Amino acid sequence: MHGQAVVVGVGESEYYKHGRSPDTEFQLACTAIKNAAEDAGLELRQLDGLISYMDDRNSPLRIAAALGFDELSWSATPWAGGGNNSSATLQFADAAVCGGYANYVVGFRSLAQGQFYRLGAGTGVASGGGPPGLGWGLPYGLMTPAQECALHTKRWMHDHGVSQEALANISLACYANAQLNPRAVRYGQALTREDYHASRWIVEPFHLFDCCQENDGAAALIVTTPERAKDLPGKAVPILATAQGLGPEIGANAFQERWFPGMYYGNVGRMIWERAGVKPEDIDVLQLYENFTGPVVMALCEMGYCEPEEVEAFTGDGALEGPNARLPFNTSGGNLAEAYIHGLEMVVEAVRQSRGDSTCQVDDVNLSLAVGGPGYAPGSAVLFGPAS
Amino acid sequence: MTRYLGDEFLTPTLTEQNTPFFTSGRIQIQFCDDCDHAQQPPDDVCYSCQGTNLAFRATPGTGSVESAVLVHHPIHPALQERVPYVVVVVSVDGAPGCNVTGNVVGCPPESVEIGARVRAVFEEAKDPATGQDLLIPQWELVQD
Ligand SMILES: [Zn+2]
Repeated sequence: MHGQAVVVGVGESEYYKHGRSPDTEFQLACTAIKNAAEDAGLELRQLDGLISYMDDRNSPLRIAAALGFDELSWSATPWAGGGNNSSATLQFADAAVCGGYANYVVGFRSLAQGQFYRLGAGTGVASGGGPPGLGWGLPYGLMTPAQECALHTKRWMHDHGVSQEALANISLACYANAQLNPRAVRYGQALTREDYHASRWIVEPFHLFDCCQENDGAAALIVTTPERAKDLPGKAVPILATAQGLGPEIGANAFQERWFPGMYYGNVGRMIWERAGVKPEDIDVLQLYENFTGPVVMALCEMGYCEPEEVEAFTGDGALEGPNARLPFNTSGGNLAEAYIHGLEMVVEAVRQSRGDSTCQVDDVNLSLAVGGPGYAPGSAVLFGPAS
Repeated sequence: MTRYLGDEFLTPTLTEQNTPFFTSGRIQIQFCDDCDHAQQPPDDVCYSCQGTNLAFRATPGTGSVESAVLVHHPIHPALQERVPYVVVVVSVDGAPGCNVTGNVVGCPPESVEIGARVRAVFEEAKDPATGQDLLIPQWELVQD
């Protein structure tokens, strides 16, 4: 059990449909960080560490200069992939403040997909980015994360007799929870099971509503030590455990037989449960990054929530919907229905649940878990305890 | 043969590592000459013995479909008229553990099932940068 570093502030920009932000990506990043500092009761000049992921285009040097940091003493970004590293930002921040290398470290992610390219458009993959397996798919029209995750999901559903309803359960839970959240881009757009099944296919087995949105916006969290947090006005949320890395399910190449089909999240679960000394059923509220619904159901199984053959029942009958769900899940609406800020908005929501200020607030939250994007290694997760 | 997704569709950017696969007219897989480990995609180091005596070997050119999905959303303008098309993961006979991706040609896309046996066929194309001839591996169903 860690219990050392704490989150003392969270901030967001407004969330927009992709291409709709009136602000540049850099302005969005600065807005989210300013809001997080205000939430924490900190002056911008006191911030001294910056962490992002997924090759964020907003350099820490530029941010530190623009926001007037007295000093930048820690900057880092995890290698590889995309939203799989959303929770890893908190691990790096924890390491920095516990190691004494920085005092107030910001984890952030900003994107304006009108200003820059859309991840789902496959542009990055076509130009040689993305997992090594995908570059080989280009002449075959295999160019997007949706297609890659669909190949894994299709085989996994085939092997375990999992039907489309398990995927629908994930999508419906996210949309239902977003209806409680006025910040959500899909607020006011309820989704029925009929709507889900009637929506167009993107790549089977993924309908439109199995796929995350594309959005503009930014999110940020500020991490410090419990000692420093005592001097701040707001609540402090302890980081109980984090995980980031590769396991035997290493996923170096997307379709290698050893790892196919798989989401590479067995190791993430094992590390979190061992480090925190808890089990999946102990978690009061779970935010599990949905790039697509298939990876979510696969990751639930890999992390030990249930067996693949049980996942339809485990997620069915509203088991994931609302604050009183059997497993409160993606309570802000997640990537599917709140906004796709590459999962960092889900880490913010996990902190809100610990502080008691979610729009879908679960009673008496003791353990709040945020898991980064399955399907891409290295995976990551962060477990929060109750605020003090 | 003409290309499954149209003769104008994107071609692979050739590298030292993928040139044997995309130009030789065989299913060439990288093997380790020290320990006989096969790996795909190729790399500079053997993932089994960490040696560097790596070479490409032609495999028999048959395999099995490990997964098959129908793509409906055209991700590239040239695919507007081609959807739905099928994308597969194929385990390559004679290269243990190695899966490659491709399309299954010559049949309705929805008829390709997990477990189907397939045989390699090759699409002719030219590398737009160098004019080099390409033979892009594809797959067709083998009738038992
Ligand atoms: Zn070897």
